[in-house]
Amino acid sequence: MGRDRFPKQSLGSLYSRIKQSRVLMVGAGGIGCELLKNLVLTGFGEVHIIDLDTIDLSNLNRQFLFRHEHIKKSKALVAKETAGRFNPNVKLEAHHANIKDAEFTVDWFKGFNLVFNALDNLDARRHVNKMCLAAEVPLIESGTTGFNGQVQVIQRGKTECYDCTPKQTPKSFPVCTIRSTPSQPIHCIVWAKSYLFTEIFGTSEDDAAEFDHSEDAENAKEIENLRQESQALKAIRDSMGSDEFPRRVFEKVFGDDIKRLRSMEDMWKSRRPPEALDYDRVSQSASGIDPSISVKDQENWNLAENFVVFSDSLRRLSARLRDTQAKVSDGDAPPILSFDKDDVDTLDFVTASANLRSFIFGIGTKSKFDIKQMAGNIIPAIATTNAMTAGLCVLQAFHVMRGDMEKARMVFLTRSTERVISGEPLHAPNPDCPVCGVAQSKLVVDPTRATLNDLVESLLRLELGYGEEFSVNNEVGILYDPDLDDNLPKKLSDLGIKGDSFLTVVDEDDDNPRVNLVLSISEQPLPEDSKPVLLPEKVEVPRKPKAVAPAVEPAPPVANGVAHAPNAADNADLKRKRNASDIGLEDEQIKKRGKVAEETSHAVEEDLVVVEDSGNGAIVIDD
Amino acid sequence: MADSTPPPLHGPSSKEKKYDRQLRLWAASGQQALEDSHVLLVNSAGPGVVGVETLKNLVLPGIGHFTIVDPATVSEDDLGVNFFLDEESLGQSRAKRCYELLEELNPDVEGHYIAESIENLLEKPDFLSPYTLILLVAPIPARLIDIICRTAHQTGTPVFYIHSVGFYAHFSLLLPSAFPIVDTHPDPASTTDLRLLEPWPELSALVEEKARNLDNLSDYEHGHVPYVLLLLYYLERWKKEHNGQVPQNYKQKSEFRELVRKGARTNNPEGGEENFDEAIGAVLKSLHPSKLSSAAMEVFEAEECQNITKDSQTFWVIAAAIRKFYLDHKATPLPGAVPDMKAQSADYIKLQNVYKTRARADFHEVLQTVRTIEKNLGRTTSVDEKEVEAFCKGAAFVKLIRGRPFHIAGSKAGINWGHRAKFAYQALQDPSSLLPMYLGLLAVDTYHAESVDKPLDESSLLSYTSSLVDNLEREAAAAGSSTQDVDLTEAKTQVSQVVQELIRHDGAELHNISALAGGMIAQEVIKVITRQYIPIDNTCLFDGIGSRSSVLRL
Repeated sequence: MGRDRFPKQSLGSLYSRIKQSRVLMVGAGGIGCELLKNLVLTGFGEVHIIDLDTIDLSNLNRQFLFRHEHIKKSKALVAKETAGRFNPNVKLEAHHANIKDAEFTVDWFKGFNLVFNALDNLDARRHVNKMCLAAEVPLIESGTTGFNGQVQVIQRGKTECYDCTPKQTPKSFPVCTIRSTPSQPIHCIVWAKSYLFTEIFGTSEDDAAEFDHSEDAENAKEIENLRQESQALKAIRDSMGSDEFPRRVFEKVFGDDIKRLRSMEDMWKSRRPPEALDYDRVSQSASGIDPSISVKDQENWNLAENFVVFSDSLRRLSARLRDTQAKVSDGDAPPILSFDKDDVDTLDFVTASANLRSFIFGIGTKSKFDIKQMAGNIIPAIATTNAMTAGLCVLQAFHVMRGDMEKARMVFLTRSTERVISGEPLHAPNPDCPVCGVAQSKLVVDPTRATLNDLVESLLRLELGYGEEFSVNNEVGILYDPDLDDNLPKKLSDLGIKGDSFLTVVDEDDDNPRVNLVLSISEQPLPEDSKPVLLPEKVEVPRKPKAVAPAVEPAPPVANGVAHAPNAADNADLKRKRNASDIGLEDEQIKKRGKVAEETSHAVEEDLVVVEDSGNGAIVIDD
Repeated sequence: MADSTPPPLHGPSSKEKKYDRQLRLWAASGQQALEDSHVLLVNSAGPGVVGVETLKNLVLPGIGHFTIVDPATVSEDDLGVNFFLDEESLGQSRAKRCYELLEELNPDVEGHYIAESIENLLEKPDFLSPYTLILLVAPIPARLIDIICRTAHQTGTPVFYIHSVGFYAHFSLLLPSAFPIVDTHPDPASTTDLRLLEPWPELSALVEEKARNLDNLSDYEHGHVPYVLLLLYYLERWKKEHNGQVPQNYKQKSEFRELVRKGARTNNPEGGEENFDEAIGAVLKSLHPSKLSSAAMEVFEAEECQNITKDSQTFWVIAAAIRKFYLDHKATPLPGAVPDMKAQSADYIKLQNVYKTRARADFHEVLQTVRTIEKNLGRTTSVDEKEVEAFCKGAAFVKLIRGRPFHIAGSKAGINWGHRAKFAYQALQDPSSLLPMYLGLLAVDTYHAESVDKPLDESSLLSYTSSLVDNLEREAAAAGSSTQDVDLTEAKTQVSQVVQELIRHDGAELHNISALAGGMIAQEVIKVITRQYIPIDNTCLFDGIGSRSSVLRL
């Protein structure tokens, strides 16, 4: 009896393994809060929580480990404190840090039995995926958007990794579209947020993610003009705080810059030319409008209203920046403001500036509510979806902890009223995946004596055990294969293989070939008695995965291999209570052996319903 | 910094900020509905975690009130499964402690608790009247479920009946006998309604203005004619060559697509034009006469829609007006939204205005009918214009759910499959169906009908399930299902496995399953309270062993 009673009863011997396990949870946001609660209540022995974020008011509608008094505090630390109270037997460790920090090495990842991703961005997801593959730790990846959610189990060599299927990256726009020839509201919003706002209050950000520079070269002249334009704006920035500041900014970006653009007649041959705004005229029409108009966030403001919000928010932000500046001591970096969708001052400024620009270019305006979503990449998020997703993560963790990947599923939550949750068997790794489909190593080469033969014979065949059929390639083409052995006696340096270049070894064996091996060349003189090519670290080149079923190790005979008694009525044994093993919560290796064959088919168990893409790309994001 | 900066003069309230991420799903109207609600949770004899987890997911998004009824005191067992109970709670009322910790989650929500058994409380005849939605968690004696459901059905109060045992979870939903939903949030891709086959004069005039001289347009202009106008232009051409008929079938639509394709200019670096590509892509999905979905048809054919009375709900008054519109025009009111497309801004705005103006006119016609109905029937309150407008926008996608009582095992009436017998019998023969789990849970309920304190007994459960299966087979046969040559061996094996699984857990809840089920249930509760999105109809089963769920209409 006691605290353990229910989990013990339901989980059987898996429970003791769970109690001894050490797991990492990356992200303590919407899914993270739910997940941590479930992990703690399920009895996982040690849970590490990492999150670099702090708590915001808009988190409180679902991130239930946080309260109003925690706003601005570290998510990881508060989550640990709140959740820790509810199960003193679980050891919790919090890291208020970025998972990409150098201290979180592959070896550090190796210290966990299981990693849970509860993240909100592609970049960090990819990083953890890579680290877990390198550390050979299973990863449970999850995400939600609105009513949709998704859980995926990732284990190196056995399943697809996060990057086996291409992911949509956030949309970017050519610089000239944003700066010179906008045609949609989003162009003006990106301009206001990533150009105007950062030029005035932040550090100049030519490399904002939204800017696509691939067309810069064709538009060299305009790019140069734009650069000068930014310089001039920076000069105005120095007058921040003066009464004239709003007028100067306005006349520059909505007046002079537009007139300059308009003078470029070629640009407007097939487009509607922009109409510069006149400060005095607009400000006159705006007299009598109260700045509190900005509360009406669902309405599209008219020109004068946008003007009022623009001037007012510019004043608010200037005052804020000056206050911070006054407190900065010498030697510190100059303070900046950054756009935050939940910071009303910055949102007002971006909304009004974007809409003013839309008037100029004859583009439809947007409400503050809409702009918040578009500028902030807001993805709707609610407690219910997070609760389901986190629950599904733990259920998948049970399969992984038992080493029973056959039962693990890729699970989708949808808004469907037919089937709230649907799943499909895990897919085999994509052999062409750039992340998990290759083995990588450094190759140390003595440029004075190393020949291709040294690499092919002594290293690849003798040391790594490659057979007859394989090829060695570089970016130029094939250097070696069984039908092309002319190059073997040649020195690598004579074949153009230099330091910091790459060789790819492609195993062409018919059965059970290895994955491609990518060797990055490092040139250094080696002592006479050492081989002229060597691997600084031992390399395992795995075989290409064949099917979804995990490799089955030979299992010792187990007496209780039968899952279900066929017919309850004539089986006296059934008087006993069922063991957890009967429902597959124990290792069932014997059963598995018989099952591998049928599991290799990719049949989708239930209708696969793909999670709807959110408007701006990345599918599975919760914040 | 914060202390020296003047506070912002204005901006969204902190409540709006807190709920920002969910307002994007159900808007202010949905939030208001949540805030007006009072959810009753009835825990009786089980660990009661699933109900508390459900409430957590309702307190966070901000329901107005909740009340927990639970006679239990907190024991050590509870601490291992219920997140809202800590060491300090031991020996205290479970209802009280859960209420206290849940209320902490959201200061906007007002919680209440009653540390008594529901049996005593139901002796007060109007006990249930303050509550707008009821969550009933098994085990609970059948006759109490019966009383609650009968009362709720009279008042139109939705009831959720919930099981969470080990790896299994189930909930059934009792809705009022007419539960209409206007704002179903259909997939945006399916809602585009351009009426290309029924253009009206203003739209045709715009085609005339923008596309008539297609061949003489500059390359820029040619590449920026909105695709809607392109399609209308080519449709006119097509009709001239086809006796005034629009493309009728797939073959003709393919030919029509070819006609449009040939119109694109390809002597440019891209080798084509984006607006033409959009037009070609839209042929198959846009060239069909506007047709009512079967769900919307059900609404307009409903008895309530055809016989409006002085006391009809506003939904039916508007539905009747739209029905008239539909009969008069062979189409629902135009929603008026135009998708994004390649176009010059000014043209796009013109096009938008043509659609918007028409949508306004349709709406005013419906509104007129509504006012006439009100006047003729002498209704005292008039329907809000905004409601009429919202209905017009979603008219093609409205949905009516007919709530039906769920099964109460062990009640006097017993299990009656009625017109769902054939369906359930079929489900029983499908090895992937979760119906066996449902039968197992019904057997447990039968066992608990009188008293919930006895430990489960296998032979009783098996005899209950086998008579459940027999009854179902009998009813299905009576309804015309063929029962000869049907082999139920596998189904019976599955049922007995379920029974053993239920005995193994013996009423124990697994926190993780209850948390997950709490998410699923709260999601449906939110749909029901906000009357947005379509809730499940009417039984949802979840099997945590295979991470599978299914929704059955039983």
